[in-house]
Amino acid sequence: MLFPSQDRRADEKLGRILGRVGSVRARLNSLALQHAIFYTLAIAIAGCAAVFAGAYLLSPLAFLAGTSALAIIACAGIAGAVGAGWRMRASAVRAAAIADDRAELKGRLSTIVALANQQNRGSLWAYLLEDTLGHQDQFAGARIEQRRVSRAIYPLAGAIVLAALAIPISKIKHPPQIAGGSGQDELTVDLDDLHLRPADPGDESGMQVTADPATMRRLEDKLAREGAANGEAGGNSLNQLVNRARDLAGHLQNRLTGQQAASKQRLNLRLADAGGDQAQNEIHRAPETPKNRHGDVAGQFKQDQPKSNREIDLPRQDDSRQPDSKSSPGGYGESGAQASSGEDNPGNHDNRATDRGIQHSGENGGNGGAAHGTGADPDSLFGAPAASKFGTEGFEIAIEARPVDQGAKGAGHAYVPPKVRAPLSLKQEPDEPVARAAVPAEDRTTIKRVFER
Amino acid sequence: MSEVQAETPTVADFARTFRRIQAEIHKLIIGHEQAVEELLSALFAGGHVLIEGVPGTGKTTLVKTLGLALNLSFNRIQFTVDLMPADITGTRVILSGDDGRREFSFAPGPVFCHILLGDEINRATPKTQSALLEAMAELQVTVSGTTYRLKPPYFVMATLNPIEMEGTYPLPEAQLDRFLFKVRLNYPDEGELTRIISSTTGPEEAGIEAVFHATEAPEQIEALKRLVREVMVAPAMETYAARLVRTTQPQNSRFVSEQASAVHDEMVNRYVMFGSSPRGAQALILGAKVHALLDGRANIAREDIEHVAVAALAHRIMLNYAALADGIDAAHIVERVIKSVRAGKP
Repeated sequence: MLFPSQDRRADEKLGRILGRVGSVRARLNSLALQHAIFYTLAIAIAGCAAVFAGAYLLSPLAFLAGTSALAIIACAGIAGAVGAGWRMRASAVRAAAIADDRAELKGRLSTIVALANQQNRGSLWAYLLEDTLGHQDQFAGARIEQRRVSRAIYPLAGAIVLAALAIPISKIKHPPQIAGGSGQDELTVDLDDLHLRPADPGDESGMQVTADPATMRRLEDKLAREGAANGEAGGNSLNQLVNRARDLAGHLQNRLTGQQAASKQRLNLRLADAGGDQAQNEIHRAPETPKNRHGDVAGQFKQDQPKSNREIDLPRQDDSRQPDSKSSPGGYGESGAQASSGEDNPGNHDNRATDRGIQHSGENGGNGGAAHGTGADPDSLFGAPAASKFGTEGFEIAIEARPVDQGAKGAGHAYVPPKVRAPLSLKQEPDEPVARAAVPAEDRTTIKRVFER
Repeated sequence: MSEVQAETPTVADFARTFRRIQAEIHKLIIGHEQAVEELLSALFAGGHVLIEGVPGTGKTTLVKTLGLALNLSFNRIQFTVDLMPADITGTRVILSGDDGRREFSFAPGPVFCHILLGDEINRATPKTQSALLEAMAELQVTVSGTTYRLKPPYFVMATLNPIEMEGTYPLPEAQLDRFLFKVRLNYPDEGELTRIISSTTGPEEAGIEAVFHATEAPEQIEALKRLVREVMVAPAMETYAARLVRTTQPQNSRFVSEQASAVHDEMVNRYVMFGSSPRGAQALILGAKVHALLDGRANIAREDIEHVAVAALAHRIMLNYAALADGIDAAHIVERVIKSVRAGKP
């Protein structure tokens, strides 16, 4: 039985022991909190650095996939870190147990903490307090847990270093820019023998194709046929999905790399009848505007005509059936359908039409289409004999061009659409352009008169 | 003689007395330090001990020496096949008085003492073995409807000979469970054997000095037993002991509750038919309390429980035939259980 004075002394001893256990507990809980915070920060910083670097180094699809995977891993990691921190937190009993283990007190502190609030503690309670206080130097907070800062500081420091290393990437690896962007307003590209294909829709610097309505209709027809072929193959919806994903990734990359819409440049390809041997392939770049983002031909080509002076003007690759676009007799008319007749292209057969076609093709399609009659101009009926490639296939204009500076973004794999050739109609006769032949001088007047009529 | 204060012995008194008894015993018993400690632990924890050992390892000598050191009344029963329960508990006999009248009178059996040695207890029939049950568990004997109390301290030590199994009767599980510890006496090593030879074949016999006065011994021993009960146990230690016991029980046993145990051990599931009873947990805690006091502590720790685990649990675990075929013994199972529970400790 304890006297009141003994009881008071026992309470004082108990208070001192519990105070020490409390300091151990506070230190352990501080470390647990630090563990959760540091690991969360480390994961977040490392993740952001990786995404930032990925925006410069990866192609859109790879960037999207990598970012998604990274986000999942980061979320799991953060959840794990928070969970680990939560599990590391120490109650008074747990702190006492840890102190017992580390100071080899053989359960003294655990027993005291567990029984401190009990009324009937037994006759050995005072002995236990005295015995435990005799070991008080062993369970000071600083001895039980020497660290004030969690070891999780190291991963955090590592993440910060990683983030610091990611910054130079933005200076070394520039975001993709359109070729010739540095002061070169016009580029000439040779699109000969290329097939017309959809541009990469996810590419912000993707091209815009404009042409006179007839040409555009033909392009639409061709793309529709190719699209149907692709649809039959079952890849259409998947392609659309991939394209959307690529768009999304492209937007995100642009934000991260500081490529704002205002500075974004769109490649405009204008298909126009340049007329005769004046065919030129011109590339202009125009600032992207919301309007010219949304034009869509066959889901890919934009028809709206930017007013910019930076455009790509291409001569219409009229048809490879024409041996030479310079003076093909009976070239295509206003449309692809009319072109098959190859002869009825009244009026509008001068260079003015061509000029209009170049500059206003999206607006005055009718006139632009008339420019295809150049080959029927009696003035240009006679020229040098054709030297070449008859029997080549039909209409093939390949705008596979993506004339970009293959910088950081372009370093990835650009989207290369499948090469599709639409089969000729079974009813269609083999398309053999008439060879330009040498016309005797005495017959020329007669022939010319016939055509004038 | 002992300076133990019967009313309020301290932790230091307990440890000192315990060491003194040990020292007296070891005057005659060479080696077997752990066995002697377990024997005394069971005594102060208020339990009984089953001693298993091959012939000639000093089982009987150990018990007799303990009786001398404690200065308590000591009886010995040599169990045989024809031993009857009345031979143990006592019986009513007809006695003639001075006036010539004859009346029934109770003649106490050898069970009425402080320390009882049941030598080769497995040679008696189960009926006779069971005669000890009431005395061991409740410190009383009932004969012809009359209950007779036994005087505390009451301490039963039974010996088993594990190699002469022919004509023996394995102890019923219920009786096995009533022994707090099972102590195993192994063959002495070469050094111990040399000391045994020199100390037992000379002209002089070692004299055992009693630690307690004969009149005060029961009271002082009871006071020390009460002190053992005062040792504090944190809830975590109770949980640990319960988990150890629970882990000795195979999951596929129909006697095991469906509530999943926190820890499972594959070896237990494969080799154990029946695990420890709740008495095993009590034995763990009581034994741990004695060990804590010997270490100068008033609280038990995990180490104390583990120290007595084999002695407290091994004889409570029934192995199956697969264990016998693979040469697995219960002590090995207990050690595995300790490892499993330690690995899966909360």
